[in-house]
Amino acid sequence: MSLESEFFLLMKFVIPLYLLAFVIYAIRAFKGPTIVDIILAVDCMSFDIAAFMAILAVYFKSAFLISGAITLALWAYLLDIYIAKHLVSKEVGA
Amino acid sequence: MNEVLFYIGAIMIIIGGICDLFGALGLLKFPNFYIRLHAATVGTIGGAVVPLFGVGFLALGADFLPHKYAIAGASFVTGIIVLLAAPAGAHALAYAAHKAKIVKWQPKVDHLAEVREND
Repeated sequence: MSLESEFFLLMKFVIPLYLLAFVIYAIRAFKGPTIVDIILAVDCMSFDIAAFMAILAVYFKSAFLISGAITLALWAYLLDIYIAKHLVSKEVGA
Repeated sequence: MNEVLFYIGAIMIIIGGICDLFGALGLLKFPNFYIRLHAATVGTIGGAVVPLFGVGFLALGADFLPHKYAIAGASFVTGIIVLLAAPAGAHALAYAAHKAKIVKWQPKVDHLAEVREND
């Protein structure tokens, strides 16, 4: 049994876990009572999509998916900081 | 040596998937925003940083990948970025929720208020 077939066997167990976690995060993001709950759920979902894109880069044997993962992680941090700044001082500026 | 790196990465990816699912369940079921932050920590550090480092080790050990050094290096960089950015973002959100009084603040024990009342 080669390493490639073992990797595809691993993916059969791992991909349903990640997809189920995305669905549960999306439920919390749609029904969250306050705005910070929505931002926290979108934040967790973005970081986990970044990790899932790194797994898909090995699955499809393509290095271009990884650049999207780095941009997605930085974007989620930017969303946190801007929303927090707007909630504290009622403006987004310097 | 390649097989050892591959199996270490595979175990870290499985741990990441399980932590991801448990973090999502906690984020759905916990009652309060400040309690949901704990589940969010499980979901980001255990569910994103651990599988990103796992993908890095797995890509270093895999012999069927054409661009394995590019995928491994970028995975390690993304893991370090998430490891630094997720606690800072969660802390900023908690500070904003407390300052803007969005979430109701009902602590069991507040030692600072007790000391201020006694002064």
